[in-house]
Amino acid sequence: MRQRPATTLTALASWLIVLAFMAPFAWMVLGSFKTTLDFLAYPPVFVFRPTLDNYRQVFADNSFLRYLMNSTIVAAGATSIGLLLGIPAAYALARWRQTALGILLLAARMAPGIAFLIPLFVMFLQLHLVGSYTSLILSHLIFTLPLTVWMMVSFIEAVPREIEQAALIDGCSVLGVILRVIVPLTAQGIAATSILAFIASWNNFLFALVLANDRTKTLPVAVLGYIGYNSIQWGTLMAAATFITLPVLVLAMCVQRYIVRGLVSGAVNG
Amino acid sequence: MAERRARRNLTPLLLSLPALVVMAAVMGFPLLYLCFMSLHRWSMVGFEPPRFIGLHNFTALVDDERFTDSLWRTLLFTALGVASNIPAGLGIALLLNQRFFGRNLLRALMILPMVATPAAMGLVWVVMLDPTLGIVRFMFRAIGVANPPLWLSDPFWVLPTLVFVDAWMWTPMVALICFAGLAALPAEPFEAARVDGASAWQRFRFITLPLLMPTLLVAVMLRVMDLLKVIDIVYVMTGGGPGHASETINVYNYLVALSYDRIGYGAAVALVLFAIVLLCTVALVHARRRTA
Repeated sequence: MRQRPATTLTALASWLIVLAFMAPFAWMVLGSFKTTLDFLAYPPVFVFRPTLDNYRQVFADNSFLRYLMNSTIVAAGATSIGLLLGIPAAYALARWRQTALGILLLAARMAPGIAFLIPLFVMFLQLHLVGSYTSLILSHLIFTLPLTVWMMVSFIEAVPREIEQAALIDGCSVLGVILRVIVPLTAQGIAATSILAFIASWNNFLFALVLANDRTKTLPVAVLGYIGYNSIQWGTLMAAATFITLPVLVLAMCVQRYIVRGLVSGAVNG
Repeated sequence: MAERRARRNLTPLLLSLPALVVMAAVMGFPLLYLCFMSLHRWSMVGFEPPRFIGLHNFTALVDDERFTDSLWRTLLFTALGVASNIPAGLGIALLLNQRFFGRNLLRALMILPMVATPAAMGLVWVVMLDPTLGIVRFMFRAIGVANPPLWLSDPFWVLPTLVFVDAWMWTPMVALICFAGLAALPAEPFEAARVDGASAWQRFRFITLPLLMPTLLVAVMLRVMDLLKVIDIVYVMTGGGPGHASETINVYNYLVALSYDRIGYGAAVALVLFAIVLLCTVALVHARRRTA
């Protein structure tokens, strides 16, 4: 469909709508610099003397750094294992038909997380693995691995077969083809895929809620601690939320072209 | 020659074997185990070993009002979500499909709500929706609504409010999918219609919409899958409350299996939820095949 120039009115409407979608982020960042007193003001204040106290408080709590480390370890682990297993599988799927793998991948996209979580919880309990990084990383593979395979299949399909065939004729093994031809030629795709898998793991809430303990908790679960039964620590909550989401937003902007493809293929929700 | 062919056929299997083994371990086996559990009375803290009770967990579901309520609530949540996300997303896509200053920037910004950590953003929305100090209440009063609802604390409004927060996260995805669909439409029918003097509405109604239908159905399918499974934002924003007013099937499932320790019963709920997602997806795939 040919794109037509917008009228002033429709251009303005587009800007307004998108800015409205951004408003919660602005309010979050703004709130993270507010004192409790500014927070309790009604009507809400937009102009105030900013304070770094909220961030200081978040980091004064040693366990927050621990949760940050946990999130990083789990996301990095789930992403790299996903790549290691996913790239060869994606190559097989792109070049040959792999029905069993395809069905499993589809089931992963449809099944609710809880359907895996209940049995995994019981299994990990019996193996004394609940609360370990191992259990978290293994459970996150449920979405990072299918996401990696789906994304990489489309990148690998774009590589011309002639190059691989030339390498094979020159005596390269299939593994050699993957390492020396596919990986270098899809480097950009691998980068995008790893960022998406990292985000999916970083954002995951439910699995960590059940499989982590106080020492291995990840950030999305930890942030819940700022809401008590009767009191909300408004400022610290906003500072923690900003700190958790900011890396994701920055990473996502780097790979914005691939985001939708990743969300379509990977199980992100529930 | 025969030997070589056999070896070549083995290659893809060997390549995907590590992934297959891991997926069988973390997905395939757990799903079978889940089916096994659903046929047992099963508790983790009790001293009683799991006891086989046949299909009793499934028949008990029918009489469990909390389950049937959560099921209808989830279907309502899904219907409201689809009914709001799809038209809004298509509208935004049509707006962004024009040429104007800053369009690429706006399109890039649109990805942010769907990648931001849902648990954290859910809590930010809790702060914004606060019934006394929240910015949302302030804005409603500014436009003249003297007594806006209590949003998350109101048993009637809590579900629509959660649909709204979910829509904030996922309407942009629908918009970007539609946008890609629009970009792929052929130009000729539109030009022909213009020559024939069709109005903008007629061009939308009789050309854009039918041609875009397969894309729209993909968006519906993705949204249905995720709306049926909604849990993160509900869990952090309301925990299913007030009362059980926002308890969706996935939230109930989590509570019953992992908080109340009725593992076998929870497994049955999880299987029913899986079956519902599967049925809806298959139905939508069929619908898409008919339009495409």
